[in-house]
Amino acid sequence: MLTYLLLIGAGLFCIGIFIVLSKRNAIQVLIGIELILNAAILNLVAFGKYDKLNNGGQTFALFAIVLAGAAAAVALAIILNVYKQYKTIDPNAVDKLKD
Amino acid sequence: MNILSLLIFLPVLFGALILVLPEGLRYIYRYITLLATLLQLGLSVWLYIAFKNGAGYAGVANEGQYQFVEKVHWIALNLGSMGKMQIDYFVGIDGISIMLLLMSSVVMVIAALASWEINKNHKGYFALFLLLDMAITGVFCSLDFFLFYIFYELMLLPLYFLIGIWGAARREYAAIKFFLFTLFGSVFMLLVMVGLYFSVKDPATGAHTFNIIQMMNPANYDKDSIFGFIGQHMLLGLPARTVGFMVLFVAFAIKIPVVPLHTWLPDAHVESPTPISIILAGVLLKVGGYGMLRICFGIFPEVATSYAFWIGLLGVISILYGAFNALAQRDLKRLIAYSSVSHMGFVLLGIASQTTEGVSGAMMQMVSHGFLSSMLFFLVGVIYYRVHDRDIYSFRGLGTLMPKYTVFIMIAFFASLGLPGFSAFIAEAFSLIGAFNSHNFNGLLPAWMGMCGALGILLSAGYFLWTLQRMFFGETKLKGGEVWKLALVDISSREMLVLVPLSLLTLTLGIMPSLVFVKINDSVLAFVQFIHK
Amino acid sequence: MNPTLPHTDTLTIQLAIVAVLLPLAASLLNLVLVKSQSKVSGWLSSFAILGSMVLSVLVFAKVWNQPALHAQQLWFVVGTMQVDVGIWLNNLSVLMLLLVTAVALPVHVYSIAYLKGDDKYTRYFAYLSFFCFAMLALVIVDNLVLLYAFWELVGFASYLLIGFWFIREKAVLANKKAFIMNRIGDVALLTGILLLYADFHTFNLVTLFDNHATAAFIGTADNYWITLPGACFLIGAIAKSAQFPLHTWLPDAMEGPTSVSALIHAATMVAAGIFLLARVYVLFSPNVLMVMTIIGCFTAFMAATIALTQNDLKRILAYSTISQLGFMMMAMGVGAYSSALLHLAAHAFFKCLLFLSAGVIIHEMQHLKEKHNLDIDPQDINNMGGLGKYMPVTFITCIIASLALIGFPLTSGCLSKDGILVQAFLWADNKGGFYIIIPVMGVLTSLLTIFYISRLLFKVFLGKSRLKAVMPAWHIEAHDGSPLFKIPMIFLALCSLFPLFSTNPFEYEHSWIYRGFAIAVHTVSALDYHTIVLLSINVLVIPIAYFAYSIYVKQKFSFKTTSLLFKISFNEWYIDRFYHRIIVKDILRIGDLTKWLDKNVLDGTIHLFANTGVAIGKLTVWTDKYIIDGLITMLTLIIKQAGNFVRGFQTGRVQNYLFTMLLVIVVIYVLKTFI
Repeated sequence: MLTYLLLIGAGLFCIGIFIVLSKRNAIQVLIGIELILNAAILNLVAFGKYDKLNNGGQTFALFAIVLAGAAAAVALAIILNVYKQYKTIDPNAVDKLKD
Repeated sequence: MNILSLLIFLPVLFGALILVLPEGLRYIYRYITLLATLLQLGLSVWLYIAFKNGAGYAGVANEGQYQFVEKVHWIALNLGSMGKMQIDYFVGIDGISIMLLLMSSVVMVIAALASWEINKNHKGYFALFLLLDMAITGVFCSLDFFLFYIFYELMLLPLYFLIGIWGAARREYAAIKFFLFTLFGSVFMLLVMVGLYFSVKDPATGAHTFNIIQMMNPANYDKDSIFGFIGQHMLLGLPARTVGFMVLFVAFAIKIPVVPLHTWLPDAHVESPTPISIILAGVLLKVGGYGMLRICFGIFPEVATSYAFWIGLLGVISILYGAFNALAQRDLKRLIAYSSVSHMGFVLLGIASQTTEGVSGAMMQMVSHGFLSSMLFFLVGVIYYRVHDRDIYSFRGLGTLMPKYTVFIMIAFFASLGLPGFSAFIAEAFSLIGAFNSHNFNGLLPAWMGMCGALGILLSAGYFLWTLQRMFFGETKLKGGEVWKLALVDISSREMLVLVPLSLLTLTLGIMPSLVFVKINDSVLAFVQFIHK
Repeated sequence: MNPTLPHTDTLTIQLAIVAVLLPLAASLLNLVLVKSQSKVSGWLSSFAILGSMVLSVLVFAKVWNQPALHAQQLWFVVGTMQVDVGIWLNNLSVLMLLLVTAVALPVHVYSIAYLKGDDKYTRYFAYLSFFCFAMLALVIVDNLVLLYAFWELVGFASYLLIGFWFIREKAVLANKKAFIMNRIGDVALLTGILLLYADFHTFNLVTLFDNHATAAFIGTADNYWITLPGACFLIGAIAKSAQFPLHTWLPDAMEGPTSVSALIHAATMVAAGIFLLARVYVLFSPNVLMVMTIIGCFTAFMAATIALTQNDLKRILAYSTISQLGFMMMAMGVGAYSSALLHLAAHAFFKCLLFLSAGVIIHEMQHLKEKHNLDIDPQDINNMGGLGKYMPVTFITCIIASLALIGFPLTSGCLSKDGILVQAFLWADNKGGFYIIIPVMGVLTSLLTIFYISRLLFKVFLGKSRLKAVMPAWHIEAHDGSPLFKIPMIFLALCSLFPLFSTNPFEYEHSWIYRGFAIAVHTVSALDYHTIVLLSINVLVIPIAYFAYSIYVKQKFSFKTTSLLFKISFNEWYIDRFYHRIIVKDILRIGDLTKWLDKNVLDGTIHLFANTGVAIGKLTVWTDKYIIDGLITMLTLIIKQAGNFVRGFQTGRVQNYLFTMLLVIVVIYVLKTFI
């Protein structure tokens, strides 16, 4: 059972990474990040089976979900601001960091 | 102040005066220069009269016998383990220098009179001229090698500028050529000088010394020193003393000049302004001969004897080569420059013979050539000043146009080609007697060298007479036509003032050579004796 | 002066010195004080030479056949060697002293008229007096240095006088040639003197040659060191006396005024060579004497053949002079010392006379030329003819001189020439065999002499005037000219007759000059030769002269001008051409070669050094720029490139960064896991 969960998690992670690296839209990149987070949460839940007394895994997963939601909100706000500044949300076009 | 020091530094005082005077007074600079040279001449004549003769005043290798000596400690440093350094201001004259000193004073007056034609930058010219005058006088008086060297180098500097600034079209080339040639010789001379310094010790103070007279005494050499007599050091596979001699020989041979080191001379003479040509030919060349006698032969007598044959050979080659070259020239000044090479060959031949006759002849030749070459260059200057051309083929029949000038040209030419009655005859005859006599006297030179030298006399008749025929005789025909005819006026009274005394001088010395011989005789005897010791 | 001499001797010496110095004084006065073209100068010089002549006579009377006088004074000292000035009066020098003044005086007087109106009249007399001074000094000085000095000074005076009309190109070429050819001899003479000095350590002639020690030494010495100076002296004499192969200057020297040719180039200076031989006669070894004989004999013959065909009046006489000098030299060579000097003296008078006559003729021809505006050479004998009747004095004196030249009895030439030929025969007898050719050639030359001088006389004085033949309308008015011409010529004509030299016109042994120098008494066989020589020459005079007469006056025969012998003679044996084409050209070529050497080899080497220096300089500049600076530049370049390279990573794109991070992690992971 665990193996399947982990495989799904790894698959999610890879998809997430791919999206983050390849998408030309910041929103999509954010989605990719969410996928990676979800892969991590899935791992937490899956490994929770080894802590049945305290259910630490599940607890952490809840925390992580909340934090991920908060982070997504912040990220969206940044994207909104970036869009305001550059009139685009293509991460390749925003390369001011280079200098 | 010692009279010699006065003689040496007098020109500089006047030179300083010229530097101080404002440019507006530039037309009196030449009078000041003339006055300086005349004063100098007066002093030299006084020296000549007061100069004592006799075996006790022979000089050469005997310090006590020099006259009008002034010896002041100049630089004395204690170098600890290196010993003490001793450089003296040491001047004095003997029979070898007195006539050259007098001769150069006369030539300087002539050159000052010839400087009337200078027409740019008067201040610089006359200041340099007087500086040169000082250096020349200093060279003939110095008895300290260091002092000699300083004056010797000091001659170069003004000459470089005098040729390079006031010269003719290719003046920069000539000035640099002259400068480098001479410098080439003197730089190596510097090395030998330092070598000698470390080899010789003053017996009185025990310090190393630059004293030339003490360098002549074998006893003063350190045992293991580089130029010492004992313990032959080797340099470049030759004994060190031989190398030292050769280096000094080359340095002075460039000055004399000896073929094949002569090629600076025609260029320098041709490009120089007239007064500088006069000084170059009249005095500078004699510095070479003087240095050869005093320093080269004086310090390395035994090497000089063993190489006498080759030195004589160089003399003969110079005589013939210069004469043949003169035969081929079209430029009058170049012709005379090459005739100088030929005539100075007699000096070398006479010195190489190492006989009293030969050395006396060489001395006489130096004096005589001093006057004659001044006269010749002055005469060329006369014609060049008028039409700015010196090509022999541009002129014809000047004899009708400028009769007085032609008379002086004939005097100068015939005197130079050794007509009896003029000084050059005595000089050349005695150089040749030396060359012939050497065969019996010391066996240094074979008799055929004398004969070849005599051939030079024949050739000199050839080129001088040919020139006379081409330029001065025949119908008047000039390249510049009527314009030149107007320009070519006969000589002025100032030019007369130069030419008459020179003609009389060379005539007087030809008829009364004792005027020279009486002063140099004891020194020459002592010199020959010293060399064969 | 030497204090040991008795008073009278001192006086004699002083007189001799004054005799020498008088012309010098005249010369200097003419140069410095006398105004140019002033009439004074001619008379000044003439009186000076007259004074010299009177003094010479006095000196001569004192010294002739008396012990020689010698006085000297220190001139200068070189080293240990003392050079003296002094005079040595013996028979030879006083004879020459007298001879020179006696010939110079008429020439001076003649010149007063001859040079009249020339714009350098004063200059001429200054030169002429200077020449006399040098010549007189030459004959009396007692040492070789002075001898050499005056030897050159006479050459110098001759140079000045040959080129007296220096506007004329030919005159200038001639004087240059004369001086340079003489210089060849001078150099040889100087060499000889110096070689002698190297052997004997003295220049003094008295010590050297009037001294038995030297003679003894010369007998025993290593032959080479005596032969060599002897040969050198001989070359000196050859040049001065215009002997083959150095004779070509003399014919050219005729470009000078004729009076000068008469004095210098016929009578005195050219004879100085013979004088020199006489002065140092002891020195000559048999070999040198032999060479001397051969050269003299050959020159006499060659010059006579050339004189046969020349057309220039003065040139004929010049070659005749060369020929006669050849006789003297031959005489010296065969040991006929006294006859040589006798001939020298006799020749001086008659040849001088011939030249003076020629001068008068040329003067007249020049007049005609100018008067009629002719384009002729006044010296060409082809333009003359029939002048005898217009110029009787010239004609007669000229005949006397010619007879003397031929050696006709009753003239001075008869005595001297006989002497030479007779002694030459005796000499050949002694030697035997082949040597007979020398006197035979001498006789042959004498016969040639008869022919050429007859030709000259006939062409000039007899027959019809060739000018008149061309233009018959002209009235030719030639005449002897002023008494200043005539008197000197008559004086010289008288001196050309026998009484001046001997009481017996046929026996040269009776001549006082001969006796003054007689060295040995000849054997009786001399008499036979006397007859032979006298007969052979004098008997043949008539037919030969007649032969010439029939050719040149009657014009019965004529010579083919195309024959080889004629061409050789006419072109003067091609010697001059040879010299000019071969020797002069070659010497000039050597000059050009040395010039080329200087310019290309020596200066080339210098320039090579200089250019090498400059090249090395340029090389170091290049090294500096590209190697040393280059290293630094390269370092910075590398750093810059590295920076640029690394900078490329910093794209500013977050995704790139992420990708990199991922890559790195993967790489680390791979490395960690598998390696």
